[in-house]
Amino acid sequence: MERISTHQFMTLGAAVLMGTTFLPIATIVTGVGGRDGWMSILPGFALGIPYGLMVLSLMEKYPRNNLLQISETLFGKWIGKIIGIIYLSIAGYFGGLLLAQIGDIYERTTMPLTPISVFYAGGILIVFYMISSGIEVFARFTEVIFPLILVALLLNIGLSIPRIEQGELLPILGEGIKPLFFGGIKVLPYAMEYILFIGGIISFLPTNKEDIEQLRTGVWRAVFLVGILNTMVTLIQLLVFGPVETNRLVYGFLALGNMVEISKTVAGVGSLFMGVWLGAGVIKISALFFMVIWGLETVFGFKGVKWNVMVCFVFLGIAFGFIRGHYLFMEISIMDDYVIFPFALTWIPTLWVVSRWKKGSAVQ
Amino acid sequence: MKSKRCKVGSLLILSVCLIFLPGCWGKEEVEGLAPLIAIGCDLGQKPNTYTITGQYILPKKGATGAEVEDWTTSFEAPTLRKAYEMTNKIIDRVPFNGSTKVIVIGEDLAKAGFKDMLDFTQRFSEFRRSMYLVLAKGKAQSILEVKMRNGEIPGMFIKNNIETESNISTFPVVKLGHYLTVLGRKSTGPILPLVNIVKPGDSGIEYKAEGQDSELQIQGAGVFQGDRLVDLLTDEETKGYMWLEDSVKHRFIDTAGMGESKGSFSGHVLKSSTKYKVVENNGTVELKYQVKTTMSVEEVLGQDEQVSETEWASLMIEAEKSLAKAIEKECDLSIQKEKDLGLDFLGIGRHLEQKKPAYWKTIKDQWQQEIADFPVSIEVEVRVNHSGMSSNSPTTK
Repeated sequence: MERISTHQFMTLGAAVLMGTTFLPIATIVTGVGGRDGWMSILPGFALGIPYGLMVLSLMEKYPRNNLLQISETLFGKWIGKIIGIIYLSIAGYFGGLLLAQIGDIYERTTMPLTPISVFYAGGILIVFYMISSGIEVFARFTEVIFPLILVALLLNIGLSIPRIEQGELLPILGEGIKPLFFGGIKVLPYAMEYILFIGGIISFLPTNKEDIEQLRTGVWRAVFLVGILNTMVTLIQLLVFGPVETNRLVYGFLALGNMVEISKTVAGVGSLFMGVWLGAGVIKISALFFMVIWGLETVFGFKGVKWNVMVCFVFLGIAFGFIRGHYLFMEISIMDDYVIFPFALTWIPTLWVVSRWKKGSAVQ
Repeated sequence: MKSKRCKVGSLLILSVCLIFLPGCWGKEEVEGLAPLIAIGCDLGQKPNTYTITGQYILPKKGATGAEVEDWTTSFEAPTLRKAYEMTNKIIDRVPFNGSTKVIVIGEDLAKAGFKDMLDFTQRFSEFRRSMYLVLAKGKAQSILEVKMRNGEIPGMFIKNNIETESNISTFPVVKLGHYLTVLGRKSTGPILPLVNIVKPGDSGIEYKAEGQDSELQIQGAGVFQGDRLVDLLTDEETKGYMWLEDSVKHRFIDTAGMGESKGSFSGHVLKSSTKYKVVENNGTVELKYQVKTTMSVEEVLGQDEQVSETEWASLMIEAEKSLAKAIEKECDLSIQKEKDLGLDFLGIGRHLEQKKPAYWKTIKDQWQQEIADFPVSIEVEVRVNHSGMSSNSPTTK
């Protein structure tokens, strides 16, 4: 059985948690939280920490099992299988939507004339290669790509500083703390996507005591790193565009990249970063792909290249169903707010409480 | 064996990709492009149409190197995209929008509201939000069709002139992104610099013109309510705006004609900063601007006698006071204009919102009516670092 190290778990977790969240996050939190929306990002992501710790605690009790197997053990076979089907359906559908988003990003911003199928095909080809190579290679891939994503994000942020408009951040908390609450609610689904992923990957993690401590550290490190980065991404957009424009722009961060100028000679370097953003998208889609195949294997016992190819076609089918960007945005938002968020929010704590309760019963 | 087959398969797929995916769809060689430099927008002759002027640069026929010629054409069209289509029909290159530097808004269109003309430029990914926005005195088409004395392309001239603005800081530099951000503030009226055509004898400028030769000048500004032009600011009012907006980097300022002292001084602003405070006096909220600037005195007029070192120091203190008065006068003119128009182009409401959000909430709905009576004060501090290479002017006595 494949294994990944504690360091790889942290990098992989951070990369999956980040995904392409830095593209829509400013628009989303500013839409509900206005000028103060940026403050809700870190607390929103931070909810991932207790959830992550709950998952690791379950892993400690049921080593080498993923949450679907643990659900079958604790809730019984049929309820476990129903949960498994929901899990793999969510991952499959959402993965397809994110594949569609890759096409949308490229078509909208840099290559409007290239057929969208080229981006879908290119994206799924890399994802398929990643899946076929296994979780270890995927983890190593993120160890290489994630630092590049960080550097590209920081470069974009740093080079946008000259474009900052005076005083766009003020007044702070002008509308009280209510907007922060609504902003936080919009960020929570991102943390829940990450939790669903680590719910599957736990069966590949080391389980000795020392390693579990490091895994716990890995969870909060990943959450804080991504939370802080996304806060910075949102802050820079607010400072440059102001809240109204930040909310109005579809991919404000890409617009920011387009405005970067270095001493009047290098301009519009936004497209240079597109390759890195593709890497971020591929990591997230691959993670969801893995979730689907873990689900298929646990629930139905299906595994092998044949099933991987079928999942590829499912992803492509969903992506082709959402070529129209405005519907895609709506669907991603619905999935995040009304499916992923409530599912993970209830499933993980219930599982954890039942495991504690059953342990208690066993002791008696 | 299976692994070998996989490798061969992968290699084949990659080779096929290499052949069929050599670049982006719709790829054009740079020689086949017509870079757009400036767009001019005016009201059209027919209802619901615009006169859209595109200024392109094309390589000069038979020339070597980077010599280019101006290809400027106007179209009567209902949308910018339609004008683009019409351009395509009469040009043997592909018009490229990514190189656009300047958008010129005609005065009539500005009065009618020009937001629809900006939609394409902020929506289509080829354009950048760093394009400059300027207001034309008269028609944008006339500005872009000007035959300039030195043969320069008007769009390029406007861009280059704006980019050297920090040397004189006499007009605001407004990029498309900045305009859209200000538009989002609701309480602040946007402002655009004004471009004029200068003929010999205009604005105190004389030159020997050949045929239709003209010059362009960026001076003054237009103030807007949203996207509608409300009024034009004079050169002095615009300069006042620049001080209050903390947009002065370097400036030349003189006290000629002020009658403050016997002589007059010309100062060169080396450094400047404007801060504001919202203060409350006996229950009245007031905005207080504090302009602090460092200058060198580069011209002293009307000095008849040689002065001693002590007198020289006193003269510089006098210069500091006179120059501060000159700055204050420009700022006062700008504030008075704001009060007369009842339009907050100085962003005073936004300053209140930043510093006293609770107070702002109580007045924001009546802000336009409040502007005229809202107390604003200015405090100017000038420090003269030096008076150039000499302590005295050449005198005859």
